[in-house]
Formats: sequence, C-alpha cells, structure tokens
Amino acid sequence: MKNNQPARRLGLRGWVYAGKYSFERYLYLGHRLSGLGLVAYMVLHIVETANRMRGEQAWAELMALFASPPFKVIEYLLFALAVFHAMNGIRLFLVELAFFSGKPQEPVYPYKSSVLKHRPLTYVVMILAGLLMALGGSSLFFP
Amino acid sequence: MPGEKIITFRIRRFDPEADSAPHWESYAVSVFEGMTVLEALHKIKAEQAPTLAWRSSCRMGVCGSCGMFVNQLPQLACQTQVLHLKADVISIEPLPNYPNVKDLVPDLQPLFEKHTQVKPFIIRLDDIQEMEHPAGEFLQTPEEREAFSQFTYCIKCGLCLAACPTVATDPHFLGPQALTQAYRYSADNRDDGVYNRLDSVDAFHGAYQCHMAGACSHACPKGVDPAFAIQLLKRTLVLDHFGFGKKEAQTAAVLPLADVVKALEEFAPPPRTVK
Amino acid sequence: MRETRFWSLHILVVPLILILLGAHFAIMHYAPIFYAMSVEKAREFATMIERGKSVGQFVIYILLLAAGLYHGLYGTRGILRELPLPATLAKWVDVGMVIFGVTIFALGVYVTWWTFSFDWGG
Repeated sequence: MKNNQPARRLGLRGWVYAGKYSFERYLYLGHRLSGLGLVAYMVLHIVETANRMRGEQAWAELMALFASPPFKVIEYLLFALAVFHAMNGIRLFLVELAFFSGKPQEPVYPYKSSVLKHRPLTYVVMILAGLLMALGGSSLFFP
Repeated sequence: MPGEKIITFRIRRFDPEADSAPHWESYAVSVFEGMTVLEALHKIKAEQAPTLAWRSSCRMGVCGSCGMFVNQLPQLACQTQVLHLKADVISIEPLPNYPNVKDLVPDLQPLFEKHTQVKPFIIRLDDIQEMEHPAGEFLQTPEEREAFSQFTYCIKCGLCLAACPTVATDPHFLGPQALTQAYRYSADNRDDGVYNRLDSVDAFHGAYQCHMAGACSHACPKGVDPAFAIQLLKRTLVLDHFGFGKKEAQTAAVLPLADVVKALEEFAPPPRTVK
Repeated sequence: MRETRFWSLHILVVPLILILLGAHFAIMHYAPIFYAMSVEKAREFATMIERGKSVGQFVIYILLLAAGLYHGLYGTRGILRELPLPATLAKWVDVGMVIFGVTIFALGVYVTWWTFSFDWGG
C-alpha cells in the first residue's frame, strides 16, 4: 500500500508558490532568481570583456553595440537585479546571523515571529532598493 | 442558532485502495460562530461522507495531529475557526510535502526521522547523568532557560515542513522542525553544545539550506518561530567554527546527588490545608 | 566536510562584494556622476588600459573576481543541489562547479594581467 501513496512533494512549484504566506517568501524567490541572473551575467561579462585582447578595433565595435538602446535596457535590468540582490542581501546577511530578530521569548498569542520583528529592516532595504533603482535609471536614460 | 451560515467545503479525497487519482468533493455545511474546521469535518463525516478520513486527537492544539492545508495555508484544523477564514468556499487538502496516506491524512514519518537525526536530547561528554543513572542535578538559571524555552513548545505537527520551500524539492533537507530542536538542545546549558550535532546540522542538508523565506514561522501554530531558531543555529555554528563556541565552563554545573537528597530532607512540606 | 567553512566564506565576502562592486559600478557605469567622465569615455580602449595599469585597479579586479565568483557559484551550487538529483549527479554538480569556477577565474586573472602589463609600443 505504501507504494501507492503519492509523495505530494510540491517540487519547483513550491519554490514559487505554496500558499498564502507573507511577502518575505517572495523576496526569497526574487533573491534566488536575481542571483541566478547575476551569475549568468557575471560569467558572460568576464568572457565578453576578454574581447579586449583582440585589439582596440574589436573592443570599440563591442562597446558600440552595447551603447545601442536595447542593450541600455538590458544594462538597466541587470543594474536593477544587482540592486535588489544587494539590498535584500544586506537584510539576509544581518538576519541569517540572527541580528534584528529580537530574543527568544515565551510564545504568547498573538505570536510575533522574528520575520515580523525584522520587518522594519525589510522595509528600509526595499525602499533603499527602490531609490537606487530610480536614481540609476534616471542617470542611465537621462544623462 | 444565531449567526449560522452555509459554507461549502471542498475536500481533496483519495483512497489508495479504490482511487487511481485524487479528486475533489464539495460538502455544504451549516456553520455557527466559534465552530472549528475540525468540528466541521466531524459534521461532514456524520451527515454526508462516512468514509472521510483525517487524523486528530486532542482537539485543543496540543497533540499536533490535525495539521492540514486549509485555504492555502497549513493549519491545525482544531485551532482554525471556520468563520475566521472569511470565505464562503473553504478548500482542505492533506499537508503538502508529505506522502498522502488517505484523504486528509499525511504520513509524518519523514518528520520524525529527521527529528531523530539531530539527537534531540541532552548530551554531556562528562558522562554525568541526571535521569537514567543519576549522579547529580544540573543547575540552570531562569535566564539560561529563557535562551531556548520558546523552542521547546514544538508539538511536531509538521506544518513548518509543509510550508518550507526547500523541503518542496529536497527530501534530504532536515527541515525547520529538526533544526529548531537541534538549536533547542544545543542552546541548553545542560548540554555540551552544537559540537555533538555537527554531523547532521553542519552538513549540506543541514542549517544552511534555510534561506530565510520565513514561511515556517508564518505557519507555526505554537509561536515557536523555527526560522529564528535556524538563524540562531547558524550564528552558533559560525561562532563555533571560528573558536568562539560554547566553552566547557559554560555548561551547567552539577549539584552532587548527596546534596540534592540533603536539600530534599531539609525541605519542610507545606502545612496541610485540609483535615 | 563542515558546511560552515563554505557558508561563512559565502556570507563574509558579502561586505567585500558590496564595496568592490559599488566601486566597479561607480567607475564603469556611473562615471558621469562620480568623476565627471562620460560613460563612452570611461569605456574607451585607452581609458580601460590606463585604468587597468594601476595597481589599485588590478587588486580590486582580482578580489572582486574571486569574491563574486565564489559567492555566485556557491549560491548556484546550493540551488542546483536542492533539486532532487541522484547522488552521483549531486557529486558532479560540486565537482563541475569547482572546475567551472577555477576556469572562469583563471580567464579573468589572465585578462586582468594582460591589461596590467599592456605595452602600447608592442
């Protein structure tokens, strides 16, 4: 009978959505996706900037390509990813070493979890991320 | 009864001996103020679906048997009031991330197996015992107890593993419940510390597979805050790694058994209040 | 092997990356704001070579390369290993990630060294 029991493990879908949880669970997802995006870009970036070894002409052609509007948009998206990952990363750096989360205390209903206790920090880093994205965008598109 | 309301329960039914795949059934139930999901299930079983299966026992949030996925959140059926869900249609599924035995019954075996892996008991290297072959009594101040007291309230209902995104893909991850208990015992001053549990918690499938999504703490019905315990565990592991871990002098002092007996003998019983 | 060794390095390089990547952004992408140089100018071959020949720049790039690659690839390895992989494949994720990381790091170091020792005459 045991073999007939469906495992019901949510799988990759469980990373994306598993129920009506608070928004921190989506910051986890965003951190994951932005991280993967940044790693992919970092590798491309290292390979792409190695083009300098092919000489001044090849370099200038590459830079001209990157100055075109579609690449400007891609560049901004990468910047936004990096800003989100960095700001959320500051929060995770602090929280994963158990700062900003209060102290263990007797649970008294209504419970206030460490996620709620560090939520002000979450708001601060997200506002900072928004500001940096706006600043970065304005200087990139309207120099 | 005043305030009574008809609510539709959509329940995921599955009988491994009869069904090839799970299916959803709807039951309309008249619900009154204060009625819990567990009471509604009893009513459905009594009046409409005699074969409906779930697991429950204490009906007061202590035994941790009736965890189920109610309206998109893992919750204890006995602690969840139907009208507080503020919905006319309520969906009930067995807890995700566990094998499904029948209808709403999850197989909690993975939870218990992971729990045993972290050695959830007091370990001392000095071989002094308090319970089995008592040699003394371990001393603990109220402050020392407070450092882990919150994490002792775990009822092993398994809701946190149903909420955890890492458990969703990785069957080997210890999960919030076991890691919380690893911290609970490591932080206990009567225990010799995290050093004794490194094999399980300091491996790839240990503490660092937690990425602070916080869903476990959201789901926990007892306010145990597993996410917090895991971050404290990480901090403990890092401090221990860099040589700032628990020192021998920090483990609880032992009051010799003879002194305990003497203290008990000297302790006068309270005066009788009834004849 | 204690995972703490890898994870603490993963998290302790975070402040380093924040500073170095901040500097990298300021120099490359936001040159007009930080030192009144147009982005086009900042990306010219001659500017790049000149920048790359300073010892400070050389050190920043090598450190950022090492810290960024370690942080990124450790994170990626964690994500891949969370998938339900067979044990042998999980092992290959670890090995493959190390080989990949070392290769990309070597390429980055070579390019940085090439720029640092660039000779206009040759």
